[in-house]
Amino acid sequence: MRKYIAFLLIAILGWTLATTFKAIPFGADRRGDLDHPDKVAAFYLKESPEVLQTANSITAIVVNFRGFDTLGEVTVLFLAATGLASILYRRKEEDVEVERVRLPSSGLVRTGAKILFPLMLLLGIYVFIHGHLTPGGGFQGGAIIATGFLLMLITYKHFETNHNVMVWLESLAGLAFVAVGLYGLFVYGSFLHNTKSVGTLNDLISGGLIPLIYIFIGIKVGTELTNILYILLKIKKS
Amino acid sequence: MDTLNKILEFAGLFFVLLGSIFLFLGALGIYRMPDLYNRLQAGTKASTLGAMSVVLGVGLMQPGWLIKLIVIILFIGISNPLSSHALARASHRSGIRPFFKKKIDDYEEEVES
Repeated sequence: MRKYIAFLLIAILGWTLATTFKAIPFGADRRGDLDHPDKVAAFYLKESPEVLQTANSITAIVVNFRGFDTLGEVTVLFLAATGLASILYRRKEEDVEVERVRLPSSGLVRTGAKILFPLMLLLGIYVFIHGHLTPGGGFQGGAIIATGFLLMLITYKHFETNHNVMVWLESLAGLAFVAVGLYGLFVYGSFLHNTKSVGTLNDLISGGLIPLIYIFIGIKVGTELTNILYILLKIKKS
Repeated sequence: MDTLNKILEFAGLFFVLLGSIFLFLGALGIYRMPDLYNRLQAGTKASTLGAMSVVLGVGLMQPGWLIKLIVIILFIGISNPLSSHALARASHRSGIRPFFKKKIDDYEEEVES
């Protein structure tokens, strides 16, 4: 019975997708005219360097034109982390002794991790600070930072992240994102509205509020993913 | 100035070619070698040198990026051998034996002693 329902669902999904794609003519020009934008793609490509002074138009779309969606994405990540924590923290109540690493790493790995850890943090911060200039952004930079913490967590048995600091950083970054959005709402009349003076193209401080928002997203994603890894790495003591 | 640029460009092309040869040999080694440890050493040595010289060649062709690329070269030089070392050690500990059953296993002797 379940098999047939699954087949039926897949058939409905496939039919919907097929009818949608059939309506789009193959090979048509969907970018539109850049000088007189009549389509969405041309509009974004024209507006993001000229009006927002942002070199990376993907960042301009993600953080400015569709900034509200990004707030939703951050919320989804937050909910996933909270749900995981609420499931896995039960071990603490059941008095199961947990540890992270069974066998110690070799001296080479421990020394190398010490050298690589600050470099990885630096790279992550670089990626999210330059989110409006180069490919990458808050989510990618946060993931790189979490990778650095993962290296330390699996190398050192007694490396602990300060839980209070992490939770505060995460919450403050999330609140700051909402505060920036509310600033736009009160000053310019729409949520996440960008400031009037946006700087010049290709400067580090350009794009108005975009770098600020990406810094908050980077901090939030980095701390959140670190918390998820920290929880997931705990195993039962043998 | 113009000749210097030409020389730098040709040196860069040479390094990129050298790096791609080493990367190809590394890929061939991963395909041809019989067991995990041999594949690991083929992949690590050849691809570390290959990636480093490709990046250096790009740096010589575009001198403006040279400092960043040198940092990347150092990063590859530290991280690539380190990760292979960790992989080889973990597989030895989880009981993967070498393909050729020779009597010599220096690492095991060292761990036991």
